Amino acid sequence: MKMNLKKLLGKENVFLDLKSSSKKDIIKEMIDRLVVSGKIKDREAALEAVLTREEKMSTGMENGIAIPHGKTDSVDQLITAVALKKEGVDFDSMDGQVSTIFIMTISPQSRSGPHIQFLAEVSKLLKEPEAREMLLAARTVEEVIRVFS
Amino acid sequence: MRFSFLFFTLFCTRPLLASADKASPDISHLMTNLVLQVALIVIAARVVGIIFSRYLKQPKVLGELVAGIIIGPYLLGSITLPLLKQPLFPKTETLLPVSPELYGLAVIASIVLLFLAGLETDLPTFLRYSFMGSMVGIGGVILSFFLGDMISVLLLPNVNSFMSPTALFMGTLSTATSVGITARILSEKRKMSSPEGVTILAGAVLDDVLGIVLLAVVVGISKIGSKGASIDWGGIAVIALKAFGFWLVCTVLGIIFAKRLSKGLKWLRSNDAIACVAFGLALFLAGLAEMAGLAMIIGAYIMGLSLSQTDISNELRERLDGVYQFLVPIFFCVMGMMVNFSAMKGIVLFGLVFTALAIIGKLLGCGLPAFIMGFNLRGAFRVGAGMLPRGEVTLIVASIGLAAGAIGQDMFGVAIMALLVASVIAPPLLIKSFKGGNGLRNKISVKEKDEGCHIELEFPSVRITEFICSRILKAFRNEEFFACKLNFEDNIYQIKKENISITLLLKGKIIEFNTAAENKQIVSLILLEEIIELKDLFEGIHKLKSPDLMCKELASGLFSEEKKK
Repeated sequence: MKMNLKKLLGKENVFLDLKSSSKKDIIKEMIDRLVVSGKIKDREAALEAVLTREEKMSTGMENGIAIPHGKTDSVDQLITAVALKKEGVDFDSMDGQVSTIFIMTISPQSRSGPHIQFLAEVSKLLKEPEAREMLLAARTVEEVIRVFS
Repeated sequence: MRFSFLFFTLFCTRPLLASADKASPDISHLMTNLVLQVALIVIAARVVGIIFSRYLKQPKVLGELVAGIIIGPYLLGSITLPLLKQPLFPKTETLLPVSPELYGLAVIASIVLLFLAGLETDLPTFLRYSFMGSMVGIGGVILSFFLGDMISVLLLPNVNSFMSPTALFMGTLSTATSVGITARILSEKRKMSSPEGVTILAGAVLDDVLGIVLLAVVVGISKIGSKGASIDWGGIAVIALKAFGFWLVCTVLGIIFAKRLSKGLKWLRSNDAIACVAFGLALFLAGLAEMAGLAMIIGAYIMGLSLSQTDISNELRERLDGVYQFLVPIFFCVMGMMVNFSAMKGIVLFGLVFTALAIIGKLLGCGLPAFIMGFNLRGAFRVGAGMLPRGEVTLIVASIGLAAGAIGQDMFGVAIMALLVASVIAPPLLIKSFKGGNGLRNKISVKEKDEGCHIELEFPSVRITEFICSRILKAFRNEEFFACKLNFEDNIYQIKKENISITLLLKGKIIEFNTAAENKQIVSLILLEEIIELKDLFEGIHKLKSPDLMCKELASGLFSEEKKK
């Protein structure tokens, strides 16, 4: 089954130029931007959910990809975001590389839904080096969205 | 939930009861009789079924049939009971030896049976081995039908045409295979995925379909026949076309719209409600099929077949299991009740010949195509023996024939006899046939399964593994997967969501996952998240301030008087 990643992402949730330079700040910045776009109402709850999950095990994966995520009932539905930091940030990743591509999801705690499946679909896509290269080369939001289309 | 189904199914028999109400003012008497009859049937079918399976090592259904014969109107059921001042199962004046209410319950049971048979149909296996399966299925159906029909024309004095309703019904009776017994043996012998195993399973799918379409045609023709008309080939062609048309259109529509239907059902959000509505739809299609001049079971089977490839199929099977366990023994028992041995006195010889030919029909009809396509004699015999057992479809065909007056009680008895003999001899024959070497003459292109994703997790103890397994299943359900136990003895679970299918096997301290390579990401991520949660949970238990004190407090006072403070 193919999920419609493009539909789940939305242009307003793509951030091309993250400013922060530490793991915690990257998470904060992404959540703040989601708060600005009106996707998250309770900033503190969302932040706590993602940081708590991060404490249990870092979501810095391989090949520069990080998937910070968390569960909180302060959201009604799955919230997703894609962000880039081309210079990379130390995200305590599995392969020791800096992370450049950040896929964030915040999902409701008590409601079932294909939340992890979103990350699985993204992982399937970004396993391909070409897809990662295209993302990092993207200059506009549209170019990022195109990778997920 | 299961009770709600029982209410539902009993509610469905109300029209029958209502008609009885018009005929007789004493409805409470009728109901008392029905309740007592059902009580005896439920208990007797279960007890004799268990005796058969536990002590005689025979399928339960045979025990249920025999229970029906024993307590039915032709044996113990005709004895007048002092409390009732009449027999519990009095003989009736109608074509059917049981009351319409009881027969109604058996009809609902047959719909449940065929709906579930449809749900269990393994279409992918059939499609994968469709050519070989088709040849085996078609061969078995054609030869068995021909032999059954022919022997009736040759040996029965009042049957003088191949197209006579009796001959047609006897032919149809010979065709149906009940693969349940074979599947159990194949699974026990780990031969399910052997070339013989997949050929039998694929053949049995087509066998079911052909048998049911054949029934539709035969019912139609016998309706013309019973009107006393001479053979009207044009009419028969119309009926055959109508039957195939209804079958084809409904099946194709069902398969096309199955996903939408399952999506619509999921809107209900409750698995119980989904099962209830799906069963309601099966009843509805069964009614439509009957209105179209076909048999009800055709509609029920099509609805099951349509839903069989959706992710809710296992959930439906699990939810309907309660209804199945309650109603299906009633069905087999009621079928047994219709056996009148005294009516068979003059035709025992015919019965024996018919039974022998029914067995030969399957062995040769299925074995020959298998032999031609590359099996050696041993393999061809295995395929033929696997297609031998008869079951519910034979009984339903026989009861429809009896109700329509196309066959008499004597032929009904013959059908039961053939069923009993074929089902008793098939298992030992099949087990014996699988001893020995390869069943292939040439290398047959039976495709090996594609390289998939295999994940194995080992935990410190069986208890922890079971606990973690339940958590993992819940995690999949939270991701909107449908997970259910496939095999109660072996702890195999199937986890499905649209076209994602994952098998979870719980083996002592190990949990094993098997799925297609493309699903590796979703399985790994769900497991990763769940194990992180579990780690957190176990650490939380460690952090309990004083678990020992907690245990002491709970244990104190269990074996002593509570101290007064």
